[in-house]
Amino acid sequence: MRFIWITALKDLRRLGREPVAVLTWLAIPSFISIILTLVFGPGGAKPHGTLLIADQDKAIGATMLTNAFDQGALGKMLTVEHITEAEGRRRMDRGDASALLVIPSGFSASFVTGQPVTIDLVRNPAQRALPDIIEDSLGIMLERAASYGAVAQTPPIQLDANIIPNKTEQPDGFAAIILPGALFMGIFFIAGALAADVWRERTSGALRRIATTPARFGAFLAGKLLAATLMFAGIGALALAVAHRLMHLRVASFPVAIAWIAASGSCLYLIIVLIQSAASSERVSTFMTNLVTLPLVMLGGGFVPFEWMPQSLARIGEWTPNGWCVMQLRVALSGSLQPIVFVTIAAIIGAMWLIEMRIIRKAAC
Amino acid sequence: MIEVEQLRKQYGDFTAVQDVTLTAQPGEIFGLLGPNGAGKTTTIGCISTLLSPSGGTIRVMGHDVVKDGIEARRSIGVVPQEIALYEDLSAEENLSYWGGAQGLRGAELRDRIREVLDLTGLLDRAKEPIKRFSGGMKRRLNFACGIVHRPKVLLLDEPTVGVDPQSRVRLLELVRDQARSGACVLYTTHYMEEAESLCDRLAIVDHGRIIAQGTLRELRAMVGGRDILRLTGTFHPEQVRSALGGIDGVEIIHADETQLALSMNDASHRLPMIFAALNGSELRGTTLTQPSLESLFIKLTGSELRE
Repeated sequence: MRFIWITALKDLRRLGREPVAVLTWLAIPSFISIILTLVFGPGGAKPHGTLLIADQDKAIGATMLTNAFDQGALGKMLTVEHITEAEGRRRMDRGDASALLVIPSGFSASFVTGQPVTIDLVRNPAQRALPDIIEDSLGIMLERAASYGAVAQTPPIQLDANIIPNKTEQPDGFAAIILPGALFMGIFFIAGALAADVWRERTSGALRRIATTPARFGAFLAGKLLAATLMFAGIGALALAVAHRLMHLRVASFPVAIAWIAASGSCLYLIIVLIQSAASSERVSTFMTNLVTLPLVMLGGGFVPFEWMPQSLARIGEWTPNGWCVMQLRVALSGSLQPIVFVTIAAIIGAMWLIEMRIIRKAAC
Repeated sequence: MIEVEQLRKQYGDFTAVQDVTLTAQPGEIFGLLGPNGAGKTTTIGCISTLLSPSGGTIRVMGHDVVKDGIEARRSIGVVPQEIALYEDLSAEENLSYWGGAQGLRGAELRDRIREVLDLTGLLDRAKEPIKRFSGGMKRRLNFACGIVHRPKVLLLDEPTVGVDPQSRVRLLELVRDQARSGACVLYTTHYMEEAESLCDRLAIVDHGRIIAQGTLRELRAMVGGRDILRLTGTFHPEQVRSALGGIDGVEIIHADETQLALSMNDASHRLPMIFAALNGSELRGTTLTQPSLESLFIKLTGSELRE
């Protein structure tokens, strides 16, 4: 146990001696977050999505409603496609659009004659901002229609906004879209740099020296993992605090969110250590790390949040290791992260630790 | 104490070490001398438990390194060929880490760190990151990390490679100190002069096998050669031949007006007799060459040690 701690302390001391390196690792995601905030944040350009409309009414009331999405600010954000309900549902199942609006047959007549009527809005659960905008806009339109209806003694139109059952309940706000992906991009970069240290220790002969002491490689790797975990926890705490303070990020439980960042960051660290241990030289290990991490960072919501990605890419991205971590962080921020997720990540970390301590022992010799 | 019997290490079809048998006693410096690739590092790797032997047995302070590796490692201190240190940590922090890896802690660790820093002349630079150290200072710290836990067995793998002459002298003195304090020292080198000046006993290794083993005197005797005495000055070759011709066992190899080369046994003891016989000649320089490990290596392998 003591060797775990002194190894962690050794690594943390060494990291502390290189504050510029740590800041550099964090600079890229911070820079990208700032750019995204400037471009897509309030007052900036808006994300673009697709609204599918299944107009079964095809009368003036429905036409007026659907035309509203083609105009003004909404028109700039949305591409409206008119399709059948069946086709629309198929496309929503594939996640090909932000939302599907189904206007039933007889909608206009019901409105005029004062009959109750329900329209369906099917939201894409993988996106949040655009479906929110569509639903809010539709709500406003229907409220206005209802107010006209009140004058004409017409009962209000009911909006039935269906959301495809989602695994996660996600927090609101711009920061919640930007922060998780950017944070895990930074963590991925730092994990890569920390993992490269194993190679440096191998090259310098430090690993061989450890092999000649009574200390065990399992404790050595656990110490390095502990240092990485503490580092990720610190970064996570700092990022969440800043985002909470400056970007009004809602955090249901700071300890849970920080624990998730630390645990999942440690898992990413071990993944990269595993990748690097397969390399034949330090240079090859750097190349392999970049080869794997850069596409994963792009797909995993690092550079562009899932909400702004094409649906097909977002779906893939959510199942990349870092993408999954991003999705779970969103859940953690909303306060609904399940203990089983922590158990899963702990099991993965344990399994990788067992494999890698043998690999590192072999590499040392 | 190190006891190696019939050690063999194979990598696939390649045999790196074959039938190596040696014993090194406490207080002794045992040298493994041989060219690069001879199997010295592999031998030391097996003794230090870094490598698993393919055959044979190794015991360190009575502990079998295969069956009882951890106990064996408690007795071992290794000074590797590489500078296996953390450049961004200070000398003190490096020693603290490696001492901790050996199980030292608390006041004992602190005292011992101070002691070895003093011993290696690094006490005044203890808190400085070692990336600012010279190569020689790093070598000394590398050595200090190997002895911080007072090992009973010290394994040194070419610790003076790339070291300036001053640091080399200091390092060799540190090695002698360890042996004087009772440690059993196994020292590998391809520097013949280093082996001759440092080691009590030596094994000459080539192609993974020990080709000769013994004290320096025993190894020199194996050469069976005579000492060569080279004299420079002003000579009369005919007078020289007549003067030296009467001395039993002295052979004149070469004689001209400025140089004289003589072959004989035990030249160091016969120098006064030679100088007396050359009375009348003007002597400016004298060089005595004894049979060396180099000549032994050539005799045994047919090639030079440094090849």
